[in-house]
Amino acid sequence: MNIRKLCYLATLMVMIQSCIRDAPINPEADIETFKIDKQYLTGDIFIDQANAKIILSLTPEAFNSGLAPVITVSAGAKVVPASGDSIKFDGTGPKQYVVTSASGVNQKAYTIVVAQIGVFKWDFESWQLNDNDKYQYPVEIDSSRAVTNMMWSSGNPGIALSGVKKDPMEYPLRATTDAFHGKYAAELVTREGTVLSNFIGIKLFAGSLFLGVFDSENAMTEPLKATKFGQPYLGKPSRFTGYYKYKPGEKYQDKAGNIMAGMKDSCSLYAVLYRGTERLDATNIHTSDRILATASIPNGGPREQWTKFDVPFVEKQSYTGNEKMMMAIVASSSKDGDAYKGAIGSRLVVDSLQIIPQ
Amino acid sequence: MAPATLFAQDNGNGQTKNKTYKPVLEHRILAGFNFGATAPVGLPNTIRKIEGFWPEFCPSLGYELSYRATHKWGAAIAVKLDYKGMGTKDVVQYFPTIITTSDGGRFQGDFSGENKTTVRNAYVSFPVSAVFTPNNKWRFNLGGYVAWLFSSNFYGTVSNGYIRNGGPKGEKVNITEATFDFGKEMRTFDVGLQGGASYRVGKNLSINGNLNWGLRPVFPDEFKGMDFPLYNIYLTLGVAYKI
Repeated sequence: MNIRKLCYLATLMVMIQSCIRDAPINPEADIETFKIDKQYLTGDIFIDQANAKIILSLTPEAFNSGLAPVITVSAGAKVVPASGDSIKFDGTGPKQYVVTSASGVNQKAYTIVVAQIGVFKWDFESWQLNDNDKYQYPVEIDSSRAVTNMMWSSGNPGIALSGVKKDPMEYPLRATTDAFHGKYAAELVTREGTVLSNFIGIKLFAGSLFLGVFDSENAMTEPLKATKFGQPYLGKPSRFTGYYKYKPGEKYQDKAGNIMAGMKDSCSLYAVLYRGTERLDATNIHTSDRILATASIPNGGPREQWTKFDVPFVEKQSYTGNEKMMMAIVASSSKDGDAYKGAIGSRLVVDSLQIIPQ
Repeated sequence: MAPATLFAQDNGNGQTKNKTYKPVLEHRILAGFNFGATAPVGLPNTIRKIEGFWPEFCPSLGYELSYRATHKWGAAIAVKLDYKGMGTKDVVQYFPTIITTSDGGRFQGDFSGENKTTVRNAYVSFPVSAVFTPNNKWRFNLGGYVAWLFSSNFYGTVSNGYIRNGGPKGEKVNITEATFDFGKEMRTFDVGLQGGASYRVGKNLSINGNLNWGLRPVFPDEFKGMDFPLYNIYLTLGVAYKI
């Protein structure tokens, strides 16, 4: 009798647990895929989900004629203009795709950024701020302040996931007024990990800046594959030039955070030209058999003052310069930052970077 | 009342037959196990499926002092060492979480995927009850409790899913497996209702069941790891030995 009563109580508790309610209506408003026939592209399309931008590398013909992209969105969401609608890229068409979630509550507006292959020369004068996480990223803008190009990325979007304070100065890549030319330069500072990053064994974040994109989707599962290096390039490069300053941090530490006496941090700054439109990443940027030519500063030691570098491209295999190719430039305030080794406080400033064609 | 009567080792059964009842103090050792959950009251719709639920090893050990004022009515107070815990495996969708860290960092996102949580908390609890003894077999109690947490575990993993950084509009970040540990965030004081029944099976031995229902969320309001309150809801099954 008593046992039976207790069983009733236990059953009641199980029932409370098993009251699964109706599923929430999908609140997501992503453009999941954005497809254009490959013949109109000079590089793979990248959807920058963190900054709501669709980055298209178009051939001049596609740029002039316009296209009808095929778009898929989060389940149940709606997009305007619709998938299959023709759009112009010459400034007369819509500049944004607006996605409304199935729940109707959330709207996400994606800006179309058309990256045409232009002059590979940058002064890092224009920076934008990520809305949610408050990190900076360099852009190119026109006279109306519209973003015309977004060639550069960094590890900042990944570091944003580690619970850093939402302040541009907390991120390893940011703008600085300590510039060689113009008002701003790019400053890369190696910083310590966060409480959350320590959980997954990351005790140091090197500052990074690279031509390419950051793929947040796999940043936690395969961090070295999240930094996708390269932007479409045409022709044969001759030299990689620019200005930099470097001051290594005091104490070099290994991945576990142990201070390594006698070790000095150094920076890296290099360019890699490779064949194809699929981007290389931190796992294969030095080893891929698609690499055509490379240029790297000879040593990453300290440079107190602005130092000019001018290094020739060394050809790794013969090529014509007419094939589909990508150019990567990678800068890091700690050379072994990809292995989470370096010195906290190491500071690299770069400005006026340029790829000089043959 | 005379002290001699107060400490009489009479089991009370004899007294129920007497016409002149003398109030008596009773002492019991309580031992048992806690079964239940640290759970929301009513599941939020972000929990889509409970794939598993299991009790942790949760002993409950205590001493009860009761004062039997009349044949049928009395009051009791006890001191207990109570482990309360459970494990659960579930599937969640768009589950909002905010994690703040000691270095001033903050991560906010909505997680969709699998979750496995283990809870095992140790409390010193003080139940206070009104006691009703209708006959010499049954004994019922109803009251409340206060409890202090002295050791806490609330940890687990999220896996096979993704989190959206900042909320539903944020970028999707795949997660194969990540751990969390909210043990240090828990409130150290719990208060609730409790009540149950015991049935005498031997001269001094009874089996009993007692439901303890926490009324205070186990996490403070400023904790946003989960966006709904959790309560300690546990059933103690065990024995009482009258000494």
